[in-house]
Amino acid sequence: MNLKSLFKKNETYLLLIVIVFSIVITTINPVFMTWENMFDLLRSSSGTAVLAIGIFVVLLSGGIDVSCTAIAICGQYIAINVLIASGVDNIAVAFLISIGVGLALGAINAVFISIFNLPTLITTLGTSSLFHGALLEWFGTKAINVGNIPDSIKVFGKMNILTFTRPDGTQYGLSVFFLILVIIVVLTWFLLKYTMIGRGIYAIGGNREAAKRCGYNIRKIQFFTYMYAGLLAGVMGVMHLSLIRYSNPNYIVGSELSVIAAVVLGGTRISGGTGTITGTLIGVALITILEKNLVLIGLSSYWQQFFIGVIIILGVTITYAQNKINERKGLRAA
Amino acid sequence: MKIKLKSSKNFTLFIIMMVIFIILSIAMPSKFLTGINLQSMASQFPEFGLLALAMMMAMITGGIDLSVVSVSNFTGVIAALILADSIESSTPAGVAILLAVLAVIAVSIVCGLVNGLLIAGIGVPPILATLGTQGLFLGLAIVITQGHSVSGFPESFMALGSGTVLGIPVPFIIFVLIALLVSVLLNRTRQGFNMYMVGSNPTVAKFSGVNNTKVLINTYILTAVLAGLASLIMISRANSMRPGYGTAYLLQAILVAVLGGTDPDGGFGTVKGLVMGIIILQITQSGLNIMSFSPFFKKFIWGFALLAIMVINYLLHKYNERKRVMEMNKLKAAGQAAD
Repeated sequence: MNLKSLFKKNETYLLLIVIVFSIVITTINPVFMTWENMFDLLRSSSGTAVLAIGIFVVLLSGGIDVSCTAIAICGQYIAINVLIASGVDNIAVAFLISIGVGLALGAINAVFISIFNLPTLITTLGTSSLFHGALLEWFGTKAINVGNIPDSIKVFGKMNILTFTRPDGTQYGLSVFFLILVIIVVLTWFLLKYTMIGRGIYAIGGNREAAKRCGYNIRKIQFFTYMYAGLLAGVMGVMHLSLIRYSNPNYIVGSELSVIAAVVLGGTRISGGTGTITGTLIGVALITILEKNLVLIGLSSYWQQFFIGVIIILGVTITYAQNKINERKGLRAA
Repeated sequence: MKIKLKSSKNFTLFIIMMVIFIILSIAMPSKFLTGINLQSMASQFPEFGLLALAMMMAMITGGIDLSVVSVSNFTGVIAALILADSIESSTPAGVAILLAVLAVIAVSIVCGLVNGLLIAGIGVPPILATLGTQGLFLGLAIVITQGHSVSGFPESFMALGSGTVLGIPVPFIIFVLIALLVSVLLNRTRQGFNMYMVGSNPTVAKFSGVNNTKVLINTYILTAVLAGLASLIMISRANSMRPGYGTAYLLQAILVAVLGGTDPDGGFGTVKGLVMGIIILQITQSGLNIMSFSPFFKKFIWGFALLAIMVINYLLHKYNERKRVMEMNKLKAAGQAAD
């Protein structure tokens, strides 16, 4: 790969923006560029990244999923309630329950989208309301305080895979969440690149009719896509739980748009077929820095929503303006 | 074929509406079928009814407008600030209201223009463009107010949201007038006709001499203005404005538009169907309220209703297709027999 092709890629520009942004923040507040802050950012944004990868896969297939945050909170809240009710204190069980819920709810999405052929945005808007409404109506609305959260979940949230000691003797480190993220990234990358079903996701996103005629089983691929997104949402639900050590059935829901924004900023086409995991991760990094570090440069949190809006608009404008210019060039050449 | 399908869709809606209305009237005549309840229903729905009209117009052109509630928040905050300020500076109420209305219209036109330019000018898909502006406009509303609510408006402004004329709530009258205007726009004007054209097939529209860019920009300006007008009713009814108000309306607006027979892929949608969709939603909501169901159950029901309606539409469409194919086969068979 030469330099020229590097500059044609969206990811390159995005990474440059992230770097410039980081430099600006560091010059204003040097706390930003410390290992400690970086590890902290990784720890708190790994969950978002996992969710974003789920949405990324759905977008690749030419759909959209705004219900994944509702799925995540359903998985989390059901898992923690089952754990407390049964007295089981095991993080693996929590993950299993949450993933199970995620797979089931993802399958419900897939039934509507694949069998009844409904538009994905409106379907997932509907199921998001359906899932969250059902959770609050039948599983309760009470938040679960840190005192009632099983120990294994709290321990997991503080677990590090690398530990460093500060001069004053206290410790900080790279969270186990990063390991989960890496596993999911590698798994997704492998699925998309080396399996038939992964190639199928790109194919139906690029051109559904063509994919059908090539012999791809579209129904199977769509079921896989939405259930995979559900699975990742389930994983994220438990990660979020052990991160904040508190479970409120109204959390997570409502953040879907900023997660989608991260994926789209990462260069994934909303019409499907184009996009990379690298781009998605950089997109998440950009949104996380915006959400978590505006305070570091002295801007109040009221500006958060505004800046996210501006960044999404700028990001998509650049992408689609580029497309338009390239199209014109193509026409002129022909 | 198209006309037949259209009328049958609205007919189904009419039946659903009447059935729900009759069931609720018989089940609880003393609570549902009272003048007060009818009056309160008629003053509740116009604010999201206007948003639903906006959503329908965007959907007719094959797009969607996720920013309607944010536009309402933004214009609502501006109107609220003007009105609240007038009390402090003791500006005459009439002047303040006029100023507020003009500001709302001006700001919403700018918002719509931003959406329109992104979508038609740059070619950003409507979902993404309005997703971005949703954050932007809501963000502006939050920044302006620092997240606090604005309250305290002139007495005469309250009439807009809670006044009545001959027993009919003012918001209802406003809604009827605007719905009629939108209906005329869609059925009798070039812009309306072109909106359906662009929604059915943008390429064909373009090569038929339609200026797609202009049609789309106008459409998103219109949807934003409707959202702005909805905000006036909102702040007048609540006597205050807090950014973030009415986020549930987004789902409801989409629900009502789809329930009312609007095709989310573009090219089809009628004001008549939409109004029936709104009435169905409102009387169901009122019924659920009277039976004191929790807001969570309602949330569940709205999601369920949206999915159920789309599945029914899909099955009906499939059934009609099959019937048509069978009829054609019959004709073919008859033709062969005649030979």
